[in-house]
Amino acid sequence: MTAVATKPPSSSSGTAIPPRRPSSAPMRFIKSPRFARAMFLPAVLVFWLISNKLIENSWDFDSSVLATPREVWDFMWAEVTRDTVAPKDLYETFGISLYRLGIGFSISMILGTTIGLGMGLSRAVNAFFHDWVMALLAMPALAWALFLSLIFGFDNKGPIIAVVLAGIPFVIVNVREGVRSTPRDLFDMSNAFGVPSNKRTRHVLLPSLYPFLFASARYALSIGWKGLVIIELFGGQDGAGWTVKFWYDAHRLHGVIGYSMFFVIFALVMENAILEPISRRVFRWRPSLNSPDIVEEEMDALYDVEELNRELDANLPTGSTQET
Amino acid sequence: MAEIKIRNLHKEFGTGADKVVALEDVNLDMGGHVFVSIVGPSGCGKSTLLNILSGIETPTSGSLEITQSGHKAAPGYVFQAARLLPWRTVMDNLLFVQQDKSDETRARCQKYLEMVQLGDKGDKFPGELSGGMQQRVGIARAFSIEPDVLFMDEPFSHLDAITARSLRRELHTMWADTGKTIIFVTHDVGEAVELSNRILVFAQGGRLEDDITVDLDFPRDAADEEVAIAKASVLRKFEEFDLLAT
Repeated sequence: MTAVATKPPSSSSGTAIPPRRPSSAPMRFIKSPRFARAMFLPAVLVFWLISNKLIENSWDFDSSVLATPREVWDFMWAEVTRDTVAPKDLYETFGISLYRLGIGFSISMILGTTIGLGMGLSRAVNAFFHDWVMALLAMPALAWALFLSLIFGFDNKGPIIAVVLAGIPFVIVNVREGVRSTPRDLFDMSNAFGVPSNKRTRHVLLPSLYPFLFASARYALSIGWKGLVIIELFGGQDGAGWTVKFWYDAHRLHGVIGYSMFFVIFALVMENAILEPISRRVFRWRPSLNSPDIVEEEMDALYDVEELNRELDANLPTGSTQET
Repeated sequence: MAEIKIRNLHKEFGTGADKVVALEDVNLDMGGHVFVSIVGPSGCGKSTLLNILSGIETPTSGSLEITQSGHKAAPGYVFQAARLLPWRTVMDNLLFVQQDKSDETRARCQKYLEMVQLGDKGDKFPGELSGGMQQRVGIARAFSIEPDVLFMDEPFSHLDAITARSLRRELHTMWADTGKTIIFVTHDVGEAVELSNRILVFAQGGRLEDDITVDLDFPRDAADEEVAIAKASVLRKFEEFDLLAT
């Protein structure tokens, strides 16, 4: 006969943990990430105003140089409504810069992906490009700005090449690492089933590279944008970087801060309106930890547990104890 | 019925002092509606033999013929891990290994998904399924190309005992229904005895030590006395060939 011993309930052990008192609804809201995120902007504004006051009281200079949040807001609104003294309005300025960024970014992605694939697949190609890529990675955007301004002057070529040179090493390195970490077992599976090589490339190699391509695109955009602003600032006669310098030369701090805020808004729009939705669509196969769609083994577990227990009972020596 | 002829099959990895013999002059004939299990300790060349049979690896020397009615037979493969494309749905994973995506092919894939009890999971991604369900998809994928011979490399070793047991039963039913030749690698002697009518015992160095016929009726149950005796008999062979120590 089989005896079944069960563990005593944990509450009888004397070390029971007292239940946590649930927080009230307002407290839960205050502790929530949504509230914390909403509080960021007011906190920045308060910090800004306090800093202005401290600076005015600590140093002896014309306090009108310091920009208040209100002045920055008015400046930005004037720019949005095309009420500006700058040679080109906000839309023309960003149009010029986005044109340069778009072309430079496309070239860096296409060229960088091609070279990265070559470096990942061939040791000879990797050896050829390795030092060049490292040199590009180490070169500061400012050096490119000065160098390209001297060579190409004030037209579009310098800024576009600056975007390419700033972004391409990140694309190359990411794609190379992506190729090196492609899942070998999936290629073996494809071989075992006789899947043709073009189908393997489309359905195994490329999808496994998507995370690396997305990381590359994000890097190339952000680093390329910074490189573009610097070259426009130092060697341009239009564009977003040049316009920041225009407001700097006019000693209008609210103009400098306001234009910088447009950069931030532009980056947020790029991330949330373009990159993130594409990323969500391409990576919809990745299961979220909280996903309700995770399917549990549901078909035979109960049936088999009962049967397994019967078998164990039948096989265990008489008098043995099975702890559950 | 598929026929497999292996003659003087030899496989080495590395060269010089690093040379490792994975298979040593293996000679075998298998075929028909059989379920052959290959057992042996780790590193005895079980998986290497399966990889050579399925074309993933090439032998150092020797010959290999896998034919079906005089023509080259079509193999299917079930791996230790399911090896599904995580970015494609369950149905797309089955279609990935097909020649076309016709309605007929889709219907065939659906039929095998239903055979492994996943008929309603075709639009799920592998990451949304449990490990056992993923392995079921792997089995359905292998059967869906309607292979003449099916190679399986420890397909249940990553699963918990209950799921593995359930899948063994499903696999055996599918083998009985479809009449395929199945070559099954396992390190679990009990599993080999429960499923197979022929067991090949390999030793370190890739030597084929014994070829055992298990002449018991199906379905078999691990709790049956006859199955337990057969398992003990195979384990005695392991002792005899000094395989338990390795």
